[in-house]
Amino acid sequence: MLTAQIFAVIIFIGMFVMIVLDKIERHYVTLGSGLLTLVVVFGICMRNGTAILDTLAIKSFFTKDFWYQVTESESKGINWATIIFIAGMMVMVEGMAKAGFFRWLCMKIAYMVKCKTVPIFITFMIMSAVLSMFIDSITVIMFLAAVTIELATLLKFNPVPMILSEVFCANLGGSATMCGDPPNIIVGTSLGFSFFDFLTNTGLCAAISLVVSVIFLYFAFRKEITGGKHEPVDMSKFPKPSEAITNKKDFFISSVIFGLAVILLVTHATTHLTVASIGLFIAAITLIAFGKHALELIKKVDYKTLLFFIGLFIVVSGLEETNILKLIANFIGDISNGNVMLMIAIILWVSAIASAFVDNIPFAATMVPIIQSLAETSGVPISTLAWSLAMGTDIGGSATPIGASANVVGTSVAQKNGYPIGWGRYCKRLAPATVIVLSISTVYLFVRYL
Amino acid sequence: MSQFIISVGREFGSGGRHIAEELAKRFNIPLYDRHLITEIAAKTGLSPEEIEKYNEKPKNHLLSRRVNGFSNSIEDNVAEMQFSFLREKAASGESFVVVGRCSETKLNDFKCLISLFILGDMSEKVKRVMNVYELTEDKAKALIDKKDRKRKRYHNYHCDGHWGDSRLYDLSINSSCLGIDGTIDILEQYINSRISKE
Repeated sequence: MLTAQIFAVIIFIGMFVMIVLDKIERHYVTLGSGLLTLVVVFGICMRNGTAILDTLAIKSFFTKDFWYQVTESESKGINWATIIFIAGMMVMVEGMAKAGFFRWLCMKIAYMVKCKTVPIFITFMIMSAVLSMFIDSITVIMFLAAVTIELATLLKFNPVPMILSEVFCANLGGSATMCGDPPNIIVGTSLGFSFFDFLTNTGLCAAISLVVSVIFLYFAFRKEITGGKHEPVDMSKFPKPSEAITNKKDFFISSVIFGLAVILLVTHATTHLTVASIGLFIAAITLIAFGKHALELIKKVDYKTLLFFIGLFIVVSGLEETNILKLIANFIGDISNGNVMLMIAIILWVSAIASAFVDNIPFAATMVPIIQSLAETSGVPISTLAWSLAMGTDIGGSATPIGASANVVGTSVAQKNGYPIGWGRYCKRLAPATVIVLSISTVYLFVRYL
Repeated sequence: MSQFIISVGREFGSGGRHIAEELAKRFNIPLYDRHLITEIAAKTGLSPEEIEKYNEKPKNHLLSRRVNGFSNSIEDNVAEMQFSFLREKAASGESFVVVGRCSETKLNDFKCLISLFILGDMSEKVKRVMNVYELTEDKAKALIDKKDRKRKRYHNYHCDGHWGDSRLYDLSINSSCLGIDGTIDILEQYINSRISKE
């Protein structure tokens, strides 16, 4: 077992280093590392065929629980539910983008507040958080940042504070629901939590944090936002929201599908439909509705991210099957000495600090079995640890430009349009905002769950 | 050939930039080197100094991340802006000379591309750098090593092929053998032959 443990750790660390170095595309890195785990750790060192089959989890497709789940259950190995759900949402989002939904929404809101800078700043932050509760933050920021730059050019204000605030709120909004941020999908599907569980636990914390964040970010960027020229706004110069709609029929269909996805997610604890079923259903109706354009939507699906997830789950299974994660869980249990408060604080803050510098998806995937083991040995409810992990990984990512995907996309869009955002400029305002939200989360977790 | 694009890769101190300038003059076409920065600055609203700060510099891997083709690294984005700018110019049918910027790779799907790499003997490069930058021999050598190391890292990060590998270019030439002027003459002949052949 010791040899298997050593190889599992080497493969895991090697994978992380390769992801950071960014020399090879990350899905090749995780798939290669996954293959090494299957061959070297399970095959050669452990000679355990069952571990390979458990990790590949192909059987899970043929179980009723995978599609329709009455009782909560936990998954092991490749988390296919996460992968199918993300793929389904990707298809839906591509359909919405093709119809011009996101651009229309941004322009509509800007129009509703009469294209005034401060109301745009506040409403875009809230819109960023709300959209990110259901749609991946990369898509949200891609569209929001582009429209922000367009409005900034017309209204002559600096778009950087607004883009940074949108990025921060997208990460915050993502923490509110099970499908908002990939770590939450992993935590939810691995530990059997529902959309509603997230909404009533991390969602409440995110709502409180959003109010504080909007106030903080407004005061932090007040001078830059209100410092521009205050010429009267000539609304006739602005592109009309309706011009963003590329096809009215597609726009209507994609809006209905989005509404349906939200309803299915909010009610899935009652309907017992799993996120895998919802993902598959949403993808299927989107493809049927888009008819001859279905192939175009499928081609746009980010299959690299899906492959990245598959490889990642295999590598994490290597650590799990060799009991490495149990050792880490015992270590956390030992240093916290059974003190639940300390345990929560460690999980929240360590997750946050780690997520500020490394990809929070592999981190969350690794931490899930650790908190499972910790809950078993310490007797602390798994939900308490799960909310600590979700808040830590989701919020911590906001602290640096590389902490979350939305940050990378937001800074990149700004830079390509002539607004460079370096580490200093980013961290000066968003690192303190992250610390504030993490402090709120700490107090929230202590007050609510202890 | 109605359109031709001359891409000049170069070792630091080999006289590559001077050669590119001279070729641009002889063929009466624009040179994109520093001018590239000015044009991008005008287009994006960034100052030329800001672009220069990140120009042809490799990114810091520990402080950067790439997601779905987006990167938070300013170096990466400045590089991407330059690549797109060059591709737009090439697609518009304009003839020009471009120095560095991975142009031999980024423009290699344009049939009118003539890619050159200028290298030189270390002793000659040191002499040239000592003369141009008024440096001692040791400092000149250190500067050459530093600049070439940076160019290599920048190039190899953005391209599959290796910087200076002769297989990547139509012609690699050692400027120390014939001197700068002799090299320019040979290259002019070569380019004329290519233009008339097409």
